[in-house]
Amino acid sequence: MKWVILGALVLGLGLLGLYPLVATGYGVRFMLQLFMWVALAQSWNLISGLTGYVSFGHVAFFGTGAYAAGILIAVHGWHWAWASLGGGAASAVLAFLIGYPCLRLKGPYFAIAMLGLNEVMRVLVSYFEGLTGGGLGLSLPTLYASVEIYYAMGLTALAVTALAHLIITSRFGLRLMTIREDEVAAEAMGINTARHKLYAFLISAFAPGVVGGLFARDQGYIEPIAVFPLAITITMIVMALFGGKGTIWGPVLGAAVLFVLQELVWARFLYLHQALFGAIIILVVLFMPRGILGVLQQRYRLPRYV
Amino acid sequence: MTRAARVPFLLAALLTLAGVILGVGLVPSVAQDPIRIGASLSLTGTYAALGQNQQRGYQLCAKHVNDKGGVLGRRIEFVFYDDQSQPATGVRLYERLITQDGVDLVLGPYSSAITEAVANVNEKYKKPMVAPMASTTSIFKKGRKFIFMVQSPAEVYLEGLIDLAARNGLRTVALINEDTLFPKASIQGAIELAKKKGLQVVFVEAYPKGHTDFSAILTKIRAANPDVLGAATYFDDAVAITRQMKELNVNPKMYEVTVGGDLPKFYELLGKNAEYVYGATQWEPELPYPGTKDFVEAYRKEFPGADLSYHSAGGYAGCQVLVEGVRRARSLDGEKIRGEILKLNLNTVYGAFRVDDDGFQVAHKMVMFQWQDGKKVIVWPEDLAAGKARFPTPAWNQR
Repeated sequence: MKWVILGALVLGLGLLGLYPLVATGYGVRFMLQLFMWVALAQSWNLISGLTGYVSFGHVAFFGTGAYAAGILIAVHGWHWAWASLGGGAASAVLAFLIGYPCLRLKGPYFAIAMLGLNEVMRVLVSYFEGLTGGGLGLSLPTLYASVEIYYAMGLTALAVTALAHLIITSRFGLRLMTIREDEVAAEAMGINTARHKLYAFLISAFAPGVVGGLFARDQGYIEPIAVFPLAITITMIVMALFGGKGTIWGPVLGAAVLFVLQELVWARFLYLHQALFGAIIILVVLFMPRGILGVLQQRYRLPRYV
Repeated sequence: MTRAARVPFLLAALLTLAGVILGVGLVPSVAQDPIRIGASLSLTGTYAALGQNQQRGYQLCAKHVNDKGGVLGRRIEFVFYDDQSQPATGVRLYERLITQDGVDLVLGPYSSAITEAVANVNEKYKKPMVAPMASTTSIFKKGRKFIFMVQSPAEVYLEGLIDLAARNGLRTVALINEDTLFPKASIQGAIELAKKKGLQVVFVEAYPKGHTDFSAILTKIRAANPDVLGAATYFDDAVAITRQMKELNVNPKMYEVTVGGDLPKFYELLGKNAEYVYGATQWEPELPYPGTKDFVEAYRKEFPGADLSYHSAGGYAGCQVLVEGVRRARSLDGEKIRGEILKLNLNTVYGAFRVDDDGFQVAHKMVMFQWQDGKKVIVWPEDLAAGKARFPTPAWNQR
C-alpha cells in the first residue's frame, strides 16, 4: 500500500510540474491558488488539528508574511523568493511573541487571543502607513511571474505536507496528539506540553508567512482588508475539517475538493454560494466530524501515513 | 445503512448535483455571435451594494447599445462573475474570463483595490480595461498601457471650495482630514490648488480614523479664524465635525466636507445645521450631461426600487467609453481600441471623458453642491450649476 501511494504521489507531482507547459493562464492561476489553500489548510492543521488548540486568527500570519515580503520587495528591492522566506520568518517571530504567553491559556482563550491578534495586526498595518501604505495599500512593481510563483507555491504546499507527514509519524507528533486528547494526562506522562505546543505553533506559522509573501508578489498589490480578513481563516479551517483534521492528506483533500467546487458551482450561483458553503459546514460537522479521511480511516483502518 | 456508509452516498449526491449544475452552465448560447464583455464585480462581500449598482449600470448600457443595433453590427453581451469583494478572486476571474471563456473585451471591477490587482492580468493579455470605479492616482501612474480612468481622482475633491473661495475674495484656508490615504490625498491636492489660486493655508491637521471628539482641533481652528474650512472626511466624522462646529461656534464663511455630505442621511441627522454646508460628489442625477436624464429614467424603469448612485452612472459611462472605442477602432484588437480610447473626447452620462497618455482622467469634473432648504443644489462648476451658492455662511445663531 505504501508503495502504491508513493508511486501515485510521484506521478501526480510530475504531472503538476509539467502542467504550466500546457495550461492556460487561468489554469496556472487556478492551481496556484489551490496550492495556496492546501498550504494554508495544512499549516492550520499542524497546530489545531494535532494539538486541538483552535487558532481563529491564522490569517494573521498570512497577512504578516504578505506585508513583510511586500515591504522587502517594494522598498528594499529583494527578490521575491527571498522576500517570501523573510515573510515566513516574520510570521514565526510573531508566532513566538503571541504563542509564548497564549499557548498556556486553556479552553477558548487561545482561540480568542488569535482572533484578537489578527485585528491588532490589521490595525497596526493601517496605522504605520509610512511603511505599509496604510489604507491605500502597498503596490509592488509589476511583474508577470505566474508560472514561477506557481512552482514556488506548489513547493510550499508540498513542503508543509511533507512536514505534516514527518510530524504525524514521529514521536513529536504522537505527543502533540496526546495533548489534544488529554492535556493533563500528557503532562502527567512527563511531556513538556508548553514547549511542544510552542514548537508546533512556530512550525505552523512559518508556511502561511511564506504563502502570504508569494501571494503579495503574485497579486502585485495588498491592502489590510485583503490580507487580514477573517474569511481566510474560516476557509482554511473548513478545508481542514472537511478533509479530516489531524491527518496528513485530509487538509490537501479538503482544500482541493472545496476549491474546485467553489470554482465550478459557486461562481455560477452568485447569491447561493455562501449558503452552500454554510450547508457544507453543517453537513460535515453533522455526518463526518472527522472529515472525509477520518471516516475512511474509521472504515478501512488506513495506516497513519495517510 | 450505518452512519459511515451514508457518507459516500452524500458525496456522490453532492458531486452529481455539481455535475448537473455545471452541465447546465456550459450549454452554449445560440445567439448570433455577440461580442462578449467580461467583468467580475463585487456582488457579495464588503462592497456588494456598490458593486451591484455598478452592475446595473453595465446591464443598462448593454440593453441600450443593443437597442440601437449593437456595435460593429453585433450585439453585446456581458459575462459576469462575483469576486466576493476580494482582489485574489478578481484576479483569478479575469484570468478566467480572458484565457478560458475567451471574452472579446473586459470592463473594470469595483474598487481601487481590486482594480489595482486585476490590472496586471489585463496588461499581460493586452486587453484594454476601462475601470470606472477606481480613483486612486497611483494605479494609473505605474506605466500601464491598457487601463483607463473614468472618475476624478482624490486630489480634486476640494477644488470647488478653493475655486469659489478665491473668486469671492477669501484669503485664508484651514484644512483637516482623516488620517488615511484617500482623505490625505484630497488635502494634498487642496494645498496645491490653494497655492495656485493665491490662497493662504493657515492650518492643516489630521485626526485618526474613528475619531469622535473634534473639540481640540476645532478650538485651534477657531483661534486661527480662517475664511474657509475644508474637511476631507467620511460620513461619521463629517456629521460629528459639523455638529461640534456649532457647539463651539466655529464660523468660517465657507465649509465643505468631501465624502459623506452627499448622503441624504447627512441632512436627516443634522437638520437645519446642515444648511449652507458644501459637499463634493462625482455625479448627481440632476446634472445636465447628455443622456443623463434618459439614463436616470430608464434606470428607474428597468430596476424599480433599486438603489441609484454614481456607481451606476459610472458603470454605464465606462461601458459607453469602451463601446465607443470599439466603434472607432472598427475592430476588437486591444492595441487599436487602446489607441482610440486615448484619443476620445466623449460626453457620457457621467460627464466628460478624456484621458492623458497614462489613461489618467483629465476631463471629468467633480461637482460641489450646497445644502439649501434641505436639498442638494449644485453650485460649482459654473457651467453645471443649478443654483447660486448662498454666500457667505451666516453665523450659527442666525441660521
